[in-house]
Amino acid sequence: MNKMLDFKKEDISDVLIRYNVAMEKTMTPDEAAEQLYPKDPLYKAVAVAIYDGEEDDVIDALDALLDAGNDPLKLIDDALLPGMGVVSALYDQGIIFLPNVMMSADAMLEGIDYCKTKTAEIPEAKGTVVCHVAEGDVHDIGKNIVAALLRADGFNVVDLGRDVPTEEVLAAVAEYKPVMITGTALMTTTMYAFKEVNDKLVEKGYNIPFACGGGAVNQEFVESFGLGVYGEEAAEAPKFANYILKNGANIDKLRDEFHFH
Amino acid sequence: MAINRYTKMAYANADEMVFGKCKFPVKAGLGIEIGAGYTIPELNYAPRPQSSVSTEALVKEYERITKDSMARIVQIGAPAIILETEHVQQLTVKPAVGAEVAHVQKSILEEYHEEYGVKCALRHTIADLREDREHLALRSKASDILESFDQCAAQGADLLSIESMGGKEVFDYSIVRDDTAGILFSIGVLGTNDMDFLWQEITKIAKKNNVVSAGDTDCSQANTAMFIAGGLLDKNLAHTTAIVARCISAARSLAAYEAGATGPGKDCGYEHIIIKSIAGIPISQEGKTSTCAHSDVMGNLTMQCCDMWSNESVEYHGEFGGTTVQVWAESLAYDCALMNTALKTGNEKILRDLFTLSDKYRDPQGYVLAYDNAYRIGEAIAANGNDPYLRSKAAAEVCCQIVQEGVDSGKLILTKFETNALNKVKTDLAALPAESAKFIEQCMNKYTKEVPVFMPENYSL
Repeated sequence: MNKMLDFKKEDISDVLIRYNVAMEKTMTPDEAAEQLYPKDPLYKAVAVAIYDGEEDDVIDALDALLDAGNDPLKLIDDALLPGMGVVSALYDQGIIFLPNVMMSADAMLEGIDYCKTKTAEIPEAKGTVVCHVAEGDVHDIGKNIVAALLRADGFNVVDLGRDVPTEEVLAAVAEYKPVMITGTALMTTTMYAFKEVNDKLVEKGYNIPFACGGGAVNQEFVESFGLGVYGEEAAEAPKFANYILKNGANIDKLRDEFHFH
Repeated sequence: MAINRYTKMAYANADEMVFGKCKFPVKAGLGIEIGAGYTIPELNYAPRPQSSVSTEALVKEYERITKDSMARIVQIGAPAIILETEHVQQLTVKPAVGAEVAHVQKSILEEYHEEYGVKCALRHTIADLREDREHLALRSKASDILESFDQCAAQGADLLSIESMGGKEVFDYSIVRDDTAGILFSIGVLGTNDMDFLWQEITKIAKKNNVVSAGDTDCSQANTAMFIAGGLLDKNLAHTTAIVARCISAARSLAAYEAGATGPGKDCGYEHIIIKSIAGIPISQEGKTSTCAHSDVMGNLTMQCCDMWSNESVEYHGEFGGTTVQVWAESLAYDCALMNTALKTGNEKILRDLFTLSDKYRDPQGYVLAYDNAYRIGEAIAANGNDPYLRSKAAAEVCCQIVQEGVDSGKLILTKFETNALNKVKTDLAALPAESAKFIEQCMNKYTKEVPVFMPENYSL
């Protein structure tokens, strides 16, 4: 009676379902990526290097395009961002995971920096997003992921770091005129700083969507202040920003589109 | 205090380990003996944010929490409870505030112990605030938090804990880049180095105040991995990578007990099943009854060998069934009543195995943390016990072996992504140096360049 069950013999196959196995795509990530790469071999080489997260290969592929007479700034829009777009599409489809995206983003950003060294002109980003971690909170892994995904999508990110006082957020908003602000917090005790940021923004007449998420943050709390839009996953940040570019800074519409609870 | 590394297992085999019993029970507080033949609910809570408006309001909040909890424990006839106050910042920043909360709480526990005979104890988990805005300041700001430990212990905290953060700056960088060496370096080398330093100091304070130097958790790293990995359908981190990080964290969290801590380990340290097998200390665990705080994929399995059973944390507010602390204290107490009944009737191994088996194949994380497999990770760590790097590496390697065996047996089914991630970790581990000095040198070179916030002066390497 008082003995171990034989784990090798007991069959509990109906007790649980590995839905992730059951639902897995048949196509491998490499096969799926192949379908999305640009056809031009020089541009494809950039996309493949970004997909592989190989920074040196990105530079080599860019050199080949530059040698062919392409404008360095145009390569950001025509080679690097579309290359990253392949990775983002695969992530959205659940074919690849976050670490692949982060490594690809590193490689793409290295490529953008390289292109910038080849010209005196300044590239124009899709828009600027100000990212910060709530005052009193030093947990910044979520913010770092959000910032990387936004940059990977072509946005200029002003990263204010962690434990950011309200006045610094306000000063950055005044200086950079962002299309969106993001705030992340791990703890319920620090997330209340978001309300203060919101109130000061409203007081100064700003109508900029304030995307909040992380740890103990929930939709109900974020809806309690006027500019708040709740993001359950870091990957939603670029979706919010793109939606704003397309549809304007309408908080109600954003909530209708992205609030699921 | 000296560091005494574990090189042997506390248990002769995995089957010896059960819930409610451990090799080295710990007496604490008012009549409690942890791991001495019964399981104990450990209730954890957080004040409502608006209570932070003043010290008076905050202390009053903890008074309400404590009274509510104890009242419910008596109403349902539970024999014992441990309360855990995980410090919000205000309690550690001003040590006198944390101490006042400890005093108020302990006074209530004493009243209930005196009037009803309820066995009870108070754990205070000091907030690890050793950092400034940009960088960790593990050594330069240690005295601030140590003062909080001292004052809380002097004013009523029976068990001292912390969720220390050594290595987190490199870990955060590495985990989202699938960087196996970085994960190993941050948890196994940097984390252990900080634990060695910190837990010697905490143990001195515990001895001075005649309270228990309890234990830590790798919440800031292994739990970050587990939470990023998420549920079955989440796409942020392979669960095979998350369990490798967890196994490495056992080699790291063990360091508390090597520096004089005696347990109970912290609830969210899922690595403690491995540590129990090595050190024989009592452990607190969480799972199905901590869904108020977070989801995991091994809700029953984690009860398998717990000595205390925790709800992780819940914000204090009203629910239909009472305040949240009453609701969750009751759930925990009934879980413990079932385990204690199994112990009294000699059925504990059957119940343990049902807990384990119900989740064992749900996910690779649960598979490796099943007590029979966790014991093997423990053996790998103990066999390399004197070297923090080598024992962390061995834990990771045996973790990969165990997962592979599970797959080969046909019982554990992985996705292709999990399989690829597992193969990557295996390849990465095989390429690592055999000597600590070389590994540390390589990592110091790499991460001082790649991670701007990594400050080597936080560690004595």
